[in-house]
Amino acid sequence: MSVDSIPANREFAKQIEITFPILSDFKRTVVKAYGVFNEEQGFGNRATFLIDKEGIIRHIDEGNVAIDPTSVVDACNVLQHKKTATP
Amino acid sequence: MHKRLLMSLVLLAVLSVVALAQQTPPVKTHLKVGDPAPDFTLRATDGKSYKLSDFKGKKNVVLAIYVLAFTGG
Repeated sequence: MSVDSIPANREFAKQIEITFPILSDFKRTVVKAYGVFNEEQGFGNRATFLIDKEGIIRHIDEGNVAIDPTSVVDACNVLQHKKTATP
Repeated sequence: MHKRLLMSLVLLAVLSVVALAQQTPPVKTHLKVGDPAPDFTLRATDGKSYKLSDFKGKKNVVLAIYVLAFTGG
């Protein structure tokens, strides 16, 4: 998800050849709700939130840490493991 | 000659201040692990709308907020 318009995101997706849909938070409502809106620059700071099936936040990466997906992938694996451990 | 050196130094100082001002100030989210994720509905590049709470009870969701070249970051 980014604060760019849908056409800008489509162009971005085309450039880097990704096929999954990208969400567009053009009105900045979601970045504000998640507390990552950079007012000075007018866009959302880089961040990754892992939200479990119950809608609870289980992991947060912010800033440059969020470039590397390793920690959120690990957190996903922990969640998956929990799911199989408690059927 | 002396004046030119002084001018160069002033220019360098101005450019340094501009460069510092362009650095992204740290924005920390108020949300914490264990908090309920704020619900939202957003349109995507495929033309469909996605609502976070539609995934409740079905799937874990990774919400990745990124900065594009288009947004200058």
